[in-house]
Amino acid sequence: MSLTAEQVARREWEAMTEPDKVKVKVRVSQRGNVYFPDPDGPEEEEATFSVFTFGDNHVIDKATRYEEDAGDRGDSITVTEPNEFRRLMIKKNLLDWSLGIPIEREGGWMTPECYERVSRVAAPILDAFLKEFEAKSGITEEEERIINRQSVILFSENSRGVTDACEAVSLFCTLGNYWEKFGLNRDALAYIPQREYLLLKMMIGKESDSIKTKAGRKKKTGGTRIAGPGGRTRPMGGTRIPL
Amino acid sequence: MPRVESKKKTRKTAEKKPQRVDEKIMEPGKYEVTDKTTFEVKLHLKLNNRRWLVMTSAGKGIDSHKLIFRMWNYDEMVAMKKQATSYDTTRRVHIIDNDALNRLKIQKFLQSWTLDSDNPRLKLHRVNGVLTDESWEMFSKLQPNIINYIFDGMNEVYELNG
Repeated sequence: MSLTAEQVARREWEAMTEPDKVKVKVRVSQRGNVYFPDPDGPEEEEATFSVFTFGDNHVIDKATRYEEDAGDRGDSITVTEPNEFRRLMIKKNLLDWSLGIPIEREGGWMTPECYERVSRVAAPILDAFLKEFEAKSGITEEEERIINRQSVILFSENSRGVTDACEAVSLFCTLGNYWEKFGLNRDALAYIPQREYLLLKMMIGKESDSIKTKAGRKKKTGGTRIAGPGGRTRPMGGTRIPL
Repeated sequence: MPRVESKKKTRKTAEKKPQRVDEKIMEPGKYEVTDKTTFEVKLHLKLNNRRWLVMTSAGKGIDSHKLIFRMWNYDEMVAMKKQATSYDTTRRVHIIDNDALNRLKIQKFLQSWTLDSDNPRLKLHRVNGVLTDESWEMFSKLQPNIINYIFDGMNEVYELNG
């Protein structure tokens, strides 16, 4: 299914203005009396999750850890139970959906009564929502590969920046620069006029170029050494003290 | 002397608590799994040299059977996968024991089959919604190619969305 430009714009705007929410969509179709996720299905269902934060991960990971005997070595290792981890993701992060079962929450978690009904949903449907949510909460192998490649270019000695920057590089540079210089965080940045954003971006670029030029000049002048006897500039070998 | 009027009693009991939404909606939603949320696995068998071969479709000299499974809900899936998951300390990964998981699925979700129509010994018995050990024993005595075909058909729905 291809999205229209307006749909993409709306989705991106939601992501920018509501960064604490993640919306996922799953298409479904009915076979017999069972509903299944189906990319070509006639119906579309939507779920809204609260963004999976570092704090969520920390809490859920802590709650689902258990000790596993490491075998012959006699020591034990701590591992996370993946199935329970995913179940807690639903209880902690699912805010709303179009599946006809109202989501009730209390104290930041789904209520036990509500979960009882949510958990009766056909496993493939709920699993499909969770997979979409996980895909938006983590980093794929492809993304990691691009980050690694662009970071090498970005942090090299004579770097002039990265063309077609990936999300990680773009976030790192934009948020880093605007916070450092003007105290603008991610939320505030979404609301500054585009003209001002562009003007400031140009000035940051000019400043960066100027710093690089200065650093280049300094390097050349700093390399001057006073020639020693015989015109050699190598460092002194040190004085040998007889024992 | 001024008289102080006593406060009028507010009748809190008259204020009705809003009815819980899940009490309002009594019918299960279309995505909720009930006893009626079932699917079929069709089995076509042909006898050849005292061995049963699994055929792709019905035809002459072919016995056709149906197995009815109930769909699993999310909680059941998590509980079963937890039971069938173990941790490999050497490779440091969680591994699902598919044999154990298949057994759990058969015991919990196989509702009925037509294999018992001409052999009462193959009648399925359930206690508390789970196949008895005797019924499982009977299932496990089927020819391995038949068992594997049933597992494949069942997992096509449970794991691969039909």
